[in-house]
Amino acid sequence: MTLNSAGSETTPRLAFFRGLVLPVVFLMLWELSSHSGLFNPQFLPPLEKVGATAWRELTNGELLSDLMVSLRRDLTGFAIGTGLGVAVGLLLGLSRIADRIFTRWFNGLKQIALLAWIPLISIWFGFDESAKVVFVALAAAIPVILNIVEGIRLTSRKIIEVGEVFRFNRRQLIFLIYLPSAMPSILTGIHLALIYSWLATIGAEYFMAAGPGIGGLVIAGRERFEMDLVLLGIVVLGAVGFTIDRLATWLEYRVIPWRRL
Amino acid sequence: MSSELAISRSIEQSDLAAPNTGAQLLRRTWRAVVPILWGLVLPAVVLPVWFSGAYWGWLPEQILPTPAEVWGTLLEMLRSGELKMHTGISLLRVICGFAAGTVVGVALGAAMGLSSRIDDYVRPFFTAIAQVPALAWIPLAMLLLGIGEALKIVVIAKAAFVPVVMNTSAGIRNVPKEFVEVGDTFQFSAWQKLRLVVLPGSIPSIFTGLRYGLTHAWIALVSVELVASSEGLGYLLVWGRQMFWLDTVLVSMIVIGLVGFVTDKVLAVVEQHLQRWRIDDA
Amino acid sequence: MTGHLDVQRVSKSFRVDGAVVEALSDISLSVQPGEFVSIVGPSGCGKSTLLRLLAGLERGFDGDILQDGKPIVGTSLDRGIVFQEPRLFPWATVRQNIGIGLQNAPINTRQKEETIAAHIALVGLQGFERAYPHQLSGGMAQRAAIARGLVNRPQILLLDEPFGALDALTRGKMQIELQQIWSHEKITMVLVTHDVDEAVFLGDRVIVLAPRPGRISRIFEVAAKRPRSRTDDDLIHIRNEVLLALEGQDRAPQPVGRPDRPLIAKPAA
Repeated sequence: MTLNSAGSETTPRLAFFRGLVLPVVFLMLWELSSHSGLFNPQFLPPLEKVGATAWRELTNGELLSDLMVSLRRDLTGFAIGTGLGVAVGLLLGLSRIADRIFTRWFNGLKQIALLAWIPLISIWFGFDESAKVVFVALAAAIPVILNIVEGIRLTSRKIIEVGEVFRFNRRQLIFLIYLPSAMPSILTGIHLALIYSWLATIGAEYFMAAGPGIGGLVIAGRERFEMDLVLLGIVVLGAVGFTIDRLATWLEYRVIPWRRL
Repeated sequence: MSSELAISRSIEQSDLAAPNTGAQLLRRTWRAVVPILWGLVLPAVVLPVWFSGAYWGWLPEQILPTPAEVWGTLLEMLRSGELKMHTGISLLRVICGFAAGTVVGVALGAAMGLSSRIDDYVRPFFTAIAQVPALAWIPLAMLLLGIGEALKIVVIAKAAFVPVVMNTSAGIRNVPKEFVEVGDTFQFSAWQKLRLVVLPGSIPSIFTGLRYGLTHAWIALVSVELVASSEGLGYLLVWGRQMFWLDTVLVSMIVIGLVGFVTDKVLAVVEQHLQRWRIDDA
Repeated sequence: MTGHLDVQRVSKSFRVDGAVVEALSDISLSVQPGEFVSIVGPSGCGKSTLLRLLAGLERGFDGDILQDGKPIVGTSLDRGIVFQEPRLFPWATVRQNIGIGLQNAPINTRQKEETIAAHIALVGLQGFERAYPHQLSGGMAQRAAIARGLVNRPQILLLDEPFGALDALTRGKMQIELQQIWSHEKITMVLVTHDVDEAVFLGDRVIVLAPRPGRISRIFEVAAKRPRSRTDDDLIHIRNEVLLALEGQDRAPQPVGRPDRPLIAKPAA
């Protein structure tokens, strides 16, 4: 407890079991309520039904194919967005001129909530795959650009002076000082891009005409008032998001063996 | 080349010779004006291209309205009070949802930060819920709450809730133990420690959480209004899109951006005011 | 022999918050090749500014600074510098950091490898070539910085309070090592420090700067032979002189009591 500066006596094991209490209680309450007949079974399906639906979707391959479609969109958009983002970010960070011309406008544009871009993109690109990928790319590019610019800006003045002492030319400054120094920020940007592109994939699937995809699954469930489908979709969504985040953290750790500045 | 690097603090010796003369004043005004000039380069290039593109009909009118049309629509919407109404509704929703999510979020976050026991109980469940983006909750919430105001407020509140809880609990937990120990040496009661050490020390983190919460709240607002609303800025977007009125869509986007920016700035100012002791460039 | 520094009537001012601050005023100094010169002074006396001018990191001064008869313009591989913080690149190993110094050196790769290895040995960091800066202690990091400063075999090495951030014991060790390196490399060294003992222990001459504006107030010759011992009577004597000179720069410190009432009670008599 923070107010008590002495240490606590909780063991990790105890903490683990405590953590299970809420989910277990929650699931039990759910199960009981759904069987009690007090609620419309459509809104509160019993857990077995959700499980059965999950199993069904898993075995008939629907779930997997939906997942594959979504992931493919995600990765395509992510790759494009990150690539573009790195290029733009480097340009804005390293070129004073580009910074002076573009940064203000970029900061203005990023104020616009990401999803507000969907109508515009759907007018320009329609509703098909390319529109979705464009949106995901946009979502990925923004954090990458922001973090690269920030990372370059934060390069220690003292280290730059060392470069000056050794007569570094512009190219040496960029590749030997600015870029390595900005690497943690670049990786943070890519990590965020991974998270946001997954969110954008779902968003694109929601708002740009249902079709195959996890987002599509959730929308279909809602339209058919099949709560179990909706829940299934949400759980898968969350799980994928969680996995992506963990993966990104692990990658970040591997790429930077030296501790962050 | 070195001159590009060296942001030297020193001034030309000749500079120091001249006192506060007109020349100096001119120089200072020039220096303030220059960034604005640079900022105008982009529009100076884009606007003529846009104009000619629209004029010569390079792209159909729905995809590329003329700048004049966009401007005209903006004025029209302002004059008719339409813009004000929709903005007001959206703003109200955000404020309510944000307030609700923040109050609950700070309370929970504080509880989790202060008591590791509560944290143990709550964190796993909370993390699971946090993993599911607000966006994904919308269909679920729609099934349960319909498409009324409650839906919107709840979704927005959830969106704001998550970052607030995370940052608040982290902020409180990260108040250095050393400072709490100082409180101990002066026989501070738990309440005093909270009020004089922990809370002021965690304000920076809490505010970071608030600002992220606000950003997410805006995104949630737009998503909810895109899906299930008959008024508000998100609705304007949908309406404009369905009617292929790109100018309406653009105007709404700009307003969303502006209002988002202003609300964030307001928070920033409040944060600045509460943190006059900080030296960094937050 | 090269490595002669000629400072002629150098003055430097800064603008701080609108006011003009004269950091250095009319400094003239001549450093002989192979000499070790220590510069001491209280804070604000401009000693770091002077060193940065010598390094070429600051421009815009009045007067002339000549190295071997040629005016210096900006930084140069002929003048190495060791800062107060090691300023090693966190993303590079010790060997890579030292190699950074050779980025623009006109020698081939094999020669670079050799000289890096030689300098690692010089500062006693063998075995740590592949360590990252965050794995090094303060003293070791500073040694790596010294190696980097010397790797180009500059004619002059400038040191700006290099041991200021180290604890007293490490500092003492590093001073002895620096003396050994200097004896071995035989290059000109200019050391800026606020530590009088360090200045006297290491220098052939000790230049005392007075503050506001920065100017040379006294120059002491330290004739003691090397290797020196801190307990040498000569050194202690000169050190006391330097301390007196420094104290003399402040106005005589006022006692806490009032002039008409002495601190120590006189016996009632």
